Amino acid sequence: MSEDGMTDLQEEELDRADLIHSEGGHVLSLMDATIKFGGLTAVNKVSFDLSRGDLFGLIGPNGAGKTTCFNLITGVYKPTSGEILFHGKSVAGMKPNQIAHLGICRTFQNIRLFGALSSLENVVVGGFLRHKTPLLSSLLLMPSAVTETAELREKAMHLLEVMNLADDAHTRSRDLPYGKQRRLEIARAMATDPSLILLDEPAAGMNPQEKEELSTTVRRIRDEFNKTVLLIEHDMRFVMGLCEKIVVLDHGEEIAAGGPDEVRNDPKVIEAYLGEAV
Amino acid sequence: MASVTADSPVKPGAFWGTRLLSIVLALAFCFGIGAMEGSIPPFAFRILVLAGLYVTLSVSLNLINGITGQFSIGHAAFYQVGAYVTGFLTINYFDGQPLTAIPWLVIMMIAGAAGAGIVGLMVGLPSLRLRGDYLAIVTLGFGEIISIVTRNQKALGGSYGMQIEPKIQAPWLVWLLAIICIAVCRNLIKTAHGLPFLAVREDEVASSAMGVNTTKTKVTAFVIGSAFAGAAGALYGHFESFITPDMFKMEVSFIILTMVVIGGTGSITGSTLAALFLFGLPEWLRTLKGADGNALQIPAPQVIAALFGVVVFVACARWVRDRYHEKGMKLAGAYGSAVGIAVVASLLFRPLAALIPSMAETSWEINSLRMVIFAVTLVVVMLLRPEGVLGHHEFSWAWLRSLFNKKNKEVQA
Ligand SMILES: Nc1ncnc2c1ncn2[C@@H]1O[C@H](COP(=O)(O)OP(=O)(O)O)[C@@H](O)[C@H]1O
Ligand SMILES: [Mg+2]
Repeated sequence: MSEDGMTDLQEEELDRADLIHSEGGHVLSLMDATIKFGGLTAVNKVSFDLSRGDLFGLIGPNGAGKTTCFNLITGVYKPTSGEILFHGKSVAGMKPNQIAHLGICRTFQNIRLFGALSSLENVVVGGFLRHKTPLLSSLLLMPSAVTETAELREKAMHLLEVMNLADDAHTRSRDLPYGKQRRLEIARAMATDPSLILLDEPAAGMNPQEKEELSTTVRRIRDEFNKTVLLIEHDMRFVMGLCEKIVVLDHGEEIAAGGPDEVRNDPKVIEAYLGEAV
Repeated sequence: MASVTADSPVKPGAFWGTRLLSIVLALAFCFGIGAMEGSIPPFAFRILVLAGLYVTLSVSLNLINGITGQFSIGHAAFYQVGAYVTGFLTINYFDGQPLTAIPWLVIMMIAGAAGAGIVGLMVGLPSLRLRGDYLAIVTLGFGEIISIVTRNQKALGGSYGMQIEPKIQAPWLVWLLAIICIAVCRNLIKTAHGLPFLAVREDEVASSAMGVNTTKTKVTAFVIGSAFAGAAGALYGHFESFITPDMFKMEVSFIILTMVVIGGTGSITGSTLAALFLFGLPEWLRTLKGADGNALQIPAPQVIAALFGVVVFVACARWVRDRYHEKGMKLAGAYGSAVGIAVVASLLFRPLAALIPSMAETSWEINSLRMVIFAVTLVVVMLLRPEGVLGHHEFSWAWLRSLFNKKNKEVQA
């Protein structure tokens, strides 16, 4: 019944520490990452590197393969070919929960909160990843488990404050308005204490003021919490104002990469976004 | 009632005080149950013991189906594994070992839990790796397999059954097991450790993205749930001292499942109350005697009129639920009226039902209406409150206190 021995946990912590302190290299590298669904090549030989502290944008028209990229990085899909390195270690083919333990966490484009749980509980699920007490001590309600629960809730509460959700801590997450749900997804991902955080269209469905606040929050995540951020966004204004490096996908192919100005004026990008204001 | 789980977590302070109090209360309760033997009629005592077993069964199934969101429909099979494994051990090894009956029974309870837990691991591991409802199919099939195996094993008594010697009855232990089962499940959802279980129920993809090993979580819930059923089976076998495969039929699994669904999937309080109510009510009805001293006979028109009344009640109550937007006493009044209308409708309908030819002379023994009562309760709950009577709510002392405070405040205001 005891779930995981301490040795497992400690080893894992060491692994993670090794990874994160292997300075110099890239946080994340995609090398010709490719995935095919039957005849459709959703992501075709995409390569890019994220350095520590990057605020990196992944853009492209609908169906370009952006979310699929996230699914490759987080282990939902295994790449058909190519390599994905996190701090120099291959994560291709690992399970999503293992990758989360290594320090990559994400939000979902189509919000996937734990609807019946409160905001606070959603965030505690994220933070639970770094728990230490074995299951048996919780089942027997040992003081260690009670203390740990209190600590996890305190940390979660702090993150809710950062995301400006403290007043909704005890509201069922499915009852929250849309914008708050998006922010809660970020808080939950932050709770896993990742070194790399992936945000899938975090501003979707938000009004201009909410988007402005979100920009500030994302910068804070990078600057104060020292996270590397990779974000997908459909709103070009939002991305251009926020990200320092951008990769553009279209039909699964990488069509441009560089700073906002470079990308904005790239004829291929203009063509891909034909009709949309860039 | 307090919302789910860790949102009303145990507080680190005042921890040992409350805890000691709970343990003392639980032991006193079990002792009280034991002391009742002899002072209440044997049939009532028997009901008390069996009700305790059903509390364990429904709360442990709730851990799998309600809290973790999997769909196991063969819980009686693990109950059976516990009964048969320990029955076999007692028959073959009780004589010649130094323990007296009660310590032996405690060990058998643990052995039953271990046996059913191991079987649960073998059944759960392959079927829970996959997403979807494979578990339902596998547990359904597993129940049949266990049944066939026991029927064909001479060493297990075959279809005739197995005589467990010596008969060891310990009603207090039955209730102690029930309380331990409730406490373990409650502790789980009151601490952070329970959240991954609930998270798996809510969204497996998001759970694994948050680092939850979903397979491990589901299998853990399944094994713990099966182990409790096995422990209950061990006590049941020794209590009855004669077990047959028929005592663990699919019907038993469905009764346990009904308890979980009616109580509210995910609510431990709900499962407990549903087990007591749904097990106790039919058993109590069975003891009712007619004027002639035989089992009570219910005329068929009466039953049909009652069913008609239920239909009218459901219709009225649904209308109240969806269209009537008042709160408090007014709402209670509306539901009261629904009951009144249903009773009147039923009374008016009775003479009509008696007009159906052959119906007028038919009557049913109340015991044979047991499954009808289950089915009707299930349908009514599904129609009026699909999340179960208690939904995701739990009883807590904090909730009781808040009720009390609210009353005080209202008085002050
Ligand atoms: N599991 C899947 N099976 C088949 N096709 C998929 C699957 N996931 C994504 N696709 C396809 O891959 C393409 C890229 O999708 P996606 O990455 O969601 O685009 P977006 O850039 O808008 O996020 C789409 O054509 C989509 O239909
Ligand atoms: Mg997308």
